[in-house]
Amino acid sequence: MPGQAVIAEQTETELDPDAAHAAIEYCYTQGWSDGLPLVPATRPLVEKFLAATARNPAEVIGRLPQLDRSVTVELAAINAVMAGCLPEYFPVVLAAWDALMRERATTGGGWQSTSGPAPLMVINGPVRADLGINATGGVFGPGFRPNATIPRAIGLMVRNAYGIHPHELEQATQGLPGRWSICLAENEEDSPWPALATEAGLPPGTSAVSATLLRTCEFVDNRHTSSAEHLLADFADTIGRSGAWIFRHASAGIVFCPEHAQLLAGAGFDRAGVRAFLADRSGRSTAGLAAVGKDACDDNGVRGPGDGGDGFQRMLAGSESQHLLIAVAGARNAGISMVVRLFGGWSGTSVPVPRPGREESYD
Amino acid sequence: MPNAILDPTGRAGAPRARSAGLTLAARRPDLSGQRVGLMDNTKHNAALLLAEIGGLLAAEHGVTVTLEATKADFAAPAPADLVVRYREACDVVITGVGDCGSCSASAVADGIGFEQAGVPAAVICSDAFVVTADAMAELRGAPGYHYIRTAHPVAVLTTEQVRQRAKQLLPEVVAALTETLPQ
Repeated sequence: MPGQAVIAEQTETELDPDAAHAAIEYCYTQGWSDGLPLVPATRPLVEKFLAATARNPAEVIGRLPQLDRSVTVELAAINAVMAGCLPEYFPVVLAAWDALMRERATTGGGWQSTSGPAPLMVINGPVRADLGINATGGVFGPGFRPNATIPRAIGLMVRNAYGIHPHELEQATQGLPGRWSICLAENEEDSPWPALATEAGLPPGTSAVSATLLRTCEFVDNRHTSSAEHLLADFADTIGRSGAWIFRHASAGIVFCPEHAQLLAGAGFDRAGVRAFLADRSGRSTAGLAAVGKDACDDNGVRGPGDGGDGFQRMLAGSESQHLLIAVAGARNAGISMVVRLFGGWSGTSVPVPRPGREESYD
Repeated sequence: MPNAILDPTGRAGAPRARSAGLTLAARRPDLSGQRVGLMDNTKHNAALLLAEIGGLLAAEHGVTVTLEATKADFAAPAPADLVVRYREACDVVITGVGDCGSCSASAVADGIGFEQAGVPAAVICSDAFVVTADAMAELRGAPGYHYIRTAHPVAVLTTEQVRQRAKQLLPEVVAALTETLPQ
């Protein structure tokens, strides 16, 4: 089991819960916490994390010029320790960060935004089993250490290394449930399609992270039809809802449960086929958009009230994967999938995870 | 001896941002004959509000609007070449509207940047973003930097309401560009 070695080591030393509590409280007083207790980072522990990567601790992996702040590999390690990661998670944390850096918003104002976006991370390849990353039941929920702590590490890097705190430089109006906690392994075993990272261009079987920023997640529960067209029409309706639509186009994603993915694959749909169907049908009539004051775009492409009219407006800018990320995760026990709303677009790429301590790709 | 707890911010031991304050660009007693630049940050109604203020300044204070440009990336401070364009074409600059998480902070950074480039600036921010605007001023070594606060929200105002807002803000804009306010 992942993590067992660490537990065995600890039982040989005398544990001091009072000292642990004092150290946790110290971290709170420093303003480092996201609200939950932190694991205090010590030099020996951070060295174990740094030993899990071949990268130079001083390497700058992110920079926000407007705030004059940056993140190094070492700061990432300190924050990953504090988030509760194990050392062997660290290459995944770095790959997840790198994947997020490919999003325009993360190198601009995204972390400060009123929308308070949440990273979504999808993990592929053997690293899933090696680290025990949940790919099946309750994949968006709690209960699994890597799923919970890897995205938390990203959040702590933003908070501490970038200095972006809520109510200060972070101006989320409401934020969203699940910020810094949405990290799932793709259920490749029950998926009828190639892995997401394979679709993004990496060799099959590569351990990798795909990541983007989300505005929210909303479920599509449809377990009583055997028609692929019914099912896709249900997704098109959810994807095309007006509330999520602020610019000329908006991007989305779907984390299909295995049952839905298998039904679609059985009807001949691959990922590209699903995207083509949904790019064509997700949207609203111009009259429907006029009813909510979003039927026209200004010079900056921002939606607002227009003159109404006929026709149908498509929400997705096209059928490429950047506009509709598709992954498969969850238990194979019901037809419940999740539509995710992207903050911008997805880079359409995945970042390989090297084996701990090595430079080359995991496999 | 227990291990020390490591600092996750990368700022341990770093000196706090210089708080000596910002030296504002020199101002003239009035705006008559001055060249005014308007820098719109793409937020809804920003261009209209700035154009209205520019029009009022021309009509009532004898200015000429010589440069109206857009800062394409509202989240980031204006690029150096854009600041140079304003410095060459204008005597004073008005910019805004700080109306979101990142753009309010960067609008304040722009104002400070113009002052440092020797161009008096008036920055307009929604009053819903005062905390983040002030945080940016502190980050830039200019705690207490004066910017103009206007009632939130700006983006939903009608054209007529934007005109009214411009009239309301005019005295503050004139004051910001002519009086060296205490920092």
